[in-house]
Amino acid sequence: MAAVAEARPQSRRFRDLLEDRRFLAPALISPAALFIVLLVGAPLVLAVYLSMTDATAGQLTGKFVWFHNFVDAWHNDNFRRALRNTIIFTLASQAIVLVGAGILAHALVRPFPGRWFLRLLILLPWAAPVAVSTIGFLWIFDSQFSVVNWTLVHDLMPGGGHFYLYRPANWVLGGIDHLPWIHVGKIDRLNPPQWLGQPTLAMLAIIFVQAWRILPFATVIFIAGLASIPTEVHDAAKVDGATGLRKFWHVTLPLQLPIATVALLFGIVFTATDMTVVYILTSGGPFNSTHMLTTWAYQTGIVSSNLGEGAAISLYLLPVLLIVSVLMLRFARRVEVS
Amino acid sequence: MAENDDGLEELGLSKSLTRRQVLRRSLGGFLVLYGGALPKVAAAAVPKHVHKQYKNTLKIIQWSHFVPAYDVWFDKTYTKRWGDKHDTDVQVDHIALAQLPARAQAEVAAQSGHDIFGHLSPQAGLEDQVINHKEVIQEVTRKVGKVSQLGFHSCYNPRTKKWHGFPENYVPDPIHFRKDLWKQVGLKPSTWEDVRKAAPKLKALGHPVGLGMSNELDSNMLLIALMQCYGAFIQTKNARVAINSKHTIEALKVMRDIYKRGMTNEVFAWTAASNNQGYLSGRLALAVNAISIARSAEDANPALAKNTAIAPIPRGPVQRLGLEHVMGVYTIWKFTKNKALAKRFIADLEINYQQAFRNSKFYNFPAFKGAVKNYKNQLNADPHTPKGKYGVLNLIANKYTTNLGYPGFSNAAIDEIFNTWLIPQMFAQVAQGKMTPAEAAKAAEHDAKRIFAKWRKRGKI
Amino acid sequence: MWSTLRERGISYLIVGPFAIVLAFPFYWMLVTAFKTNGDLYNLDNVPFTYHPSQAALGETLPLRHDHWLPFGFENATASHVTFIFHNTNYLRWVENTAVVGALVVLITLLFAVPAGYSLARLSGRWGQSVGVGIFLTYLVPPTLLFLPLSRVISKLGLQDRLWSLVLVYPSFTIPFATWLLMGFFRTIPAELEDAALVDGCSRLKALARVIFPISIPGILTVVIFSFSLCVNEFVYAITFISGSEQHTISAGVPTDLIRGDVYFWQSLMAATLIPSILLALLYNTFLDRFIAGFTGGAFR
Repeated sequence: MAAVAEARPQSRRFRDLLEDRRFLAPALISPAALFIVLLVGAPLVLAVYLSMTDATAGQLTGKFVWFHNFVDAWHNDNFRRALRNTIIFTLASQAIVLVGAGILAHALVRPFPGRWFLRLLILLPWAAPVAVSTIGFLWIFDSQFSVVNWTLVHDLMPGGGHFYLYRPANWVLGGIDHLPWIHVGKIDRLNPPQWLGQPTLAMLAIIFVQAWRILPFATVIFIAGLASIPTEVHDAAKVDGATGLRKFWHVTLPLQLPIATVALLFGIVFTATDMTVVYILTSGGPFNSTHMLTTWAYQTGIVSSNLGEGAAISLYLLPVLLIVSVLMLRFARRVEVS
Repeated sequence: MAENDDGLEELGLSKSLTRRQVLRRSLGGFLVLYGGALPKVAAAAVPKHVHKQYKNTLKIIQWSHFVPAYDVWFDKTYTKRWGDKHDTDVQVDHIALAQLPARAQAEVAAQSGHDIFGHLSPQAGLEDQVINHKEVIQEVTRKVGKVSQLGFHSCYNPRTKKWHGFPENYVPDPIHFRKDLWKQVGLKPSTWEDVRKAAPKLKALGHPVGLGMSNELDSNMLLIALMQCYGAFIQTKNARVAINSKHTIEALKVMRDIYKRGMTNEVFAWTAASNNQGYLSGRLALAVNAISIARSAEDANPALAKNTAIAPIPRGPVQRLGLEHVMGVYTIWKFTKNKALAKRFIADLEINYQQAFRNSKFYNFPAFKGAVKNYKNQLNADPHTPKGKYGVLNLIANKYTTNLGYPGFSNAAIDEIFNTWLIPQMFAQVAQGKMTPAEAAKAAEHDAKRIFAKWRKRGKI
Repeated sequence: MWSTLRERGISYLIVGPFAIVLAFPFYWMLVTAFKTNGDLYNLDNVPFTYHPSQAALGETLPLRHDHWLPFGFENATASHVTFIFHNTNYLRWVENTAVVGALVVLITLLFAVPAGYSLARLSGRWGQSVGVGIFLTYLVPPTLLFLPLSRVISKLGLQDRLWSLVLVYPSFTIPFATWLLMGFFRTIPAELEDAALVDGCSRLKALARVIFPISIPGILTVVIFSFSLCVNEFVYAITFISGSEQHTISAGVPTDLIRGDVYFWQSLMAATLIPSILLALLYNTFLDRFIAGFTGGAFR
């Protein structure tokens, strides 16, 4: 009798524990946290250690050189260019994605015939595994067989008339040339643009491919954000007489800001830490002019076997992204609350 | 409630599917699709190469040979036969050319991986991670004779007295040119001066020469070979940096001239496949590449193949001297447990290289000259027209092919210079007018000296 | 009626160009996949139609000499597309990718749902910091981590096996999923849970019976995004696995369809199209459900 009476309070004590926030919260988080600490944290610590040694060729140990690698990296022209490229690449591609996804999401929320099919087309770039779709772009931008160049310089009207796309394109480019600070030149029919061979064009190509593949991803997030605006808000806006552009500016946009910020943040992080697109398209590009920090770190650490230096270069990204993330997260939270 | 239904209708969904039904259906489908696959994954986790029970296992990794038939022969015939004789299950994995360095380093980091690693260039940088391959060299020397100078200079480190790899094969690097087009301009590509004269004429015909200056393998080899023909070298015999010389400057000037008058800026954007593809399309009149071009032409465009001739690298004012296109080097990691077996396999492959030579369609030449008999007859007997066109490969292999880093050894510094595209960059900067030849040579010397100093400090040079 | 027509017109005007730019490469890939070698490597040929050419070794031209087909289909060949099925382990790669993706999604949900719930509901102030901390693991690029991870993988005996990917991939899907779910759980009004608690449910039971069904849209989102992250992953897939039969699509295609300096372009295009179209169909279907869930919300 006494034993049974004792057993019951014990089980109730355990159940109370489960109810207790202070126990439950950490209990639920700890599996995820543990996983991340083991698989990301531990290698990260090892990588930090490596960055302060002179390790080479896959060895995971080396002689301590403290901050020599970081200083060395900074003195290299290629590194500074890679840092600048990373910033340009990330900001430009994400700006395109943000604006594009914002517009597209609005248009896709309302129904219209054929929407399912058009949405399918729009999802394709994100659905394709990035490594193989980028190989496809290698052929689209090929130095000799580029379909873009073919379309620009060949006669697009079979039969009687003649229509060359490069002529109106040159007209536009000539107009741009008139603007100050910008010099673009013209398209030569016998020597069409080298999309992966000229530093500026290569950067444009990489930015385009990255924006192309992230746009559907951002659009989906934006659609979710739009769809989650409760109908009361729409009704209230109608009652207040806010429609069309005014409604967009004063109602929809502010409500979308938190999710837009999160989408932008993930886009920035994925772009800045990803090396696939650049590596496959240009491998750092004509004369190391399109290296990003990630590809430059790979080139130094793996291809040239200077592991310590490669680790140091990769770590440069960390504080930059840290500051950016913290700022954006704080902004998102403030907007959400208001 | 009504607004929500309207909302659903607006989004194109009927009211009849409730959330619970969707959930049930999708879960069911999920389980059907993937539940069945789970045991498969568990089984697939163990590679199923074993049909018969073997005592030993040997794991090899190497690149996917551009001649698919070679891989088929190697994987399905040769290794199986060897494995049966030695009671070994030989497993061969393939990897893309570009992934070799990453994979090699990952195996070092993991301290586990394949017993035999097949590289496509001498890996002096990995010297500390591999065994001394002296025994294998000695065994093969005993059976077929000495290793060629090319092999010796590629895989031996005179400072540490260590063979950091086994030179299995090398690929000669001829030029391919269009007989009909060169006849039209009345020249032959026997010297670089001829090429320089012909380039603008060929460009006017719409068939320029194809000499890349891009960050890729073909350009790298071609430009270093060009330098050699002009008497310019990256290092001396004693591993001192020698790249800033008047010979280099002359080579830079020649290339700049050829580019300005005979090529377009596409050559700065080429990949390793570009000169192949450009030649196969009928556009290029000259390309420097291994015989992959000729072999692809035989498959895809026999008329073009008939008009294609193979010849040694053009002569420069100092000499006619080319490079190997790629060099097949096998390494055995220090951490592998199958050293004896691995050594036996490599030795047997090299000793019986005749089959590999034939099955690679004469792409792979053994680094031990004596491993194959009667080169000339075999090459001349190749059925493709014009008959005997491949015979010249023998001449190229014997007289006009040296190792990367000639006149010195292929050490870790040369390796790094090669892998970071120092030479194509130097040429490209000059050709595009970004630097004068003198400036470019000086900049390259500065970079090269830094790299050499680093490896010298590590005791490898 | 005119206003609906005008609205529709605007929709087409906006969505149309985007769809064209985003999907055009795939259309062109489709055309290229069926070209013969002679047709493909000819600089004068129109890239969008098929042209007569000499068939290469192993190429079949099904309908020669019939010029009545549009686009020149009689000069197309399916031999490069069938190449990937007969001469490579392509189907195995697709299977491997699907299985790895599914397992990783499961593991992700297992870890991320409780973590997201905890951070949203139970954690208060320090929950924000932990949330941010989890997010920060994203900032470490895989090009840095793959070497130390190789050591871990080999110590666990998982080298060259798909389980290595199943183990490592959640390290980048779990943070993302936790974040998404955290945000999602926060939008669910606390009154629902409180109602259940008042009725006598334990917290865990409330989680299972009340919260989980409502969160299906959020969970579906996590499923789609995590799966797409796995399919796209390239560095680890190439480094940890070397056997052709164990490759995923991202690893197998560059290895077997690019040999030295010869790119099998037509086969590469076909190999890209197949998973893209399948996955796009999958995502598109899920998208409908998940948006419906969002608007249906907690009001059903």
